[in-house]
Amino acid sequence: MSHLQNKLLELKEFRENAKIRIQTLGQFNLWRDNEKVDSKQWGRDKTVQLLQYLISNRHRHALHKESIMEHLWEEGDDRDFKVALHGVNKVLEPNRPSRTEPSFVIRQGVSYQLDLDKIWIDVEALEQYIIIGNEAYAEDLSTSKEAYKSAIALYQGVYLPNRIFEDWSSEEREKIQILILGAYVILAEILLNENPLESIRLAQCAIAIDKTWEDAYRLQMQAYLIKGNRPQAIKAYQKCADVLDEEYGIDPLPATKKVLQEIESI
Amino acid sequence: MRYKNFTMEKRAGQTASFMIRFNQIIFEEEGESKVQWRGKVSHVQGGKDQSFSDFNDAVKFIQERLADLTIEATKHESQEEQESLLTKSLSLWKTVTKEGPKVIMETIKDPRKQVANLQDQISELGEDLMEKVPIDDWRNASRSDFNTIKESISELVNEVKKLNTKVDAINKPTKTRSTSKTKKTTTAKKK
Repeated sequence: MSHLQNKLLELKEFRENAKIRIQTLGQFNLWRDNEKVDSKQWGRDKTVQLLQYLISNRHRHALHKESIMEHLWEEGDDRDFKVALHGVNKVLEPNRPSRTEPSFVIRQGVSYQLDLDKIWIDVEALEQYIIIGNEAYAEDLSTSKEAYKSAIALYQGVYLPNRIFEDWSSEEREKIQILILGAYVILAEILLNENPLESIRLAQCAIAIDKTWEDAYRLQMQAYLIKGNRPQAIKAYQKCADVLDEEYGIDPLPATKKVLQEIESI
Repeated sequence: MRYKNFTMEKRAGQTASFMIRFNQIIFEEEGESKVQWRGKVSHVQGGKDQSFSDFNDAVKFIQERLADLTIEATKHESQEEQESLLTKSLSLWKTVTKEGPKVIMETIKDPRKQVANLQDQISELGEDLMEKVPIDDWRNASRSDFNTIKESISELVNEVKKLNTKVDAINKPTKTRSTSKTKKTTTAKKK
């Protein structure tokens, strides 16, 4: 088994065995020991927000308390932060004996971060799958395909949809959107000859996220062409041209026009 | 990009965050390599977004959202006051976008021109500020003044070097002490 296949397997096992699992895409959910934590256990919304903030900034090692407070509270004091942090720890480890260090939220002085080796988070897993997909793309297309498929399966919708107006969540949302757009288009391209219908569907998913994503229209045209559906292929071009004209006032790229010429010459 | 005013009580109502996505497309057309930028600017708090291929459209979008913010924050003011604040809000933005790059480029080419540019901008903001900033005195500085200052600094550096050599020669065993003295002087100067 190759190194990248091993990585894929490890990621899958981690999801199955992690004590804490968090879904942030499409909706926010948390499972503790495979049991979903209900809204009553969360208590205040600030507790949820604090955990979501830590997830959004999980790669910024050791977030300073002041920095967290500045983003989450308009006029918060230490007590507000302590209450919310206590709430997070209570949800993650309700039976933790008092005076023992929390094991999921790592504290260093007045800085905090999530222990990503212990908590499975969908956005983190999605990113890891895409990294594997990209790495395997040149040498092991089958692993690459599997990795992209796993990433796409995790994408249940926009990142933290109930926080779209909060600026602390927008960076992560944008990053995930770009990653998933890339995954849809690359997988659609890999599957073009093998499964053109799936390519059309994947390209449509990319267009649903960003209607100006020209690569996706071009792939749809190529897939329809392979299926022998000339009218749909032309329709896809027309849609692309209309959207680009409406949004940017520009024509499709020469590569897209070339595919149209191929279609028209049949 | 984030604009904040921490002095206001309701911080969230005074903050506008924008996410700008640039998508670079390099392609060949009629044997010539071309590059195209397609972008999208999103206003986080309002949820609106706009595609652009000309960055001026993104600037316009941001400016409109900021104007909305000023209007919202001043809705309890009189119409006259609101219009005045809005004009000030927009004029500042226009100054930044229009004059900012010009000042930077011209300063790089010729440091003296920054004085002229600053004066133009200050005069736009009103007579009161003109009185407080002695910009005319700075304007009189010529290129030879700048050269004189540069030469003086060079001479000073050389003199300090010579002096250090002399001090080292006189008092070699207490070299460390001499360094600490320099530090103390610096601290005193700061005070």
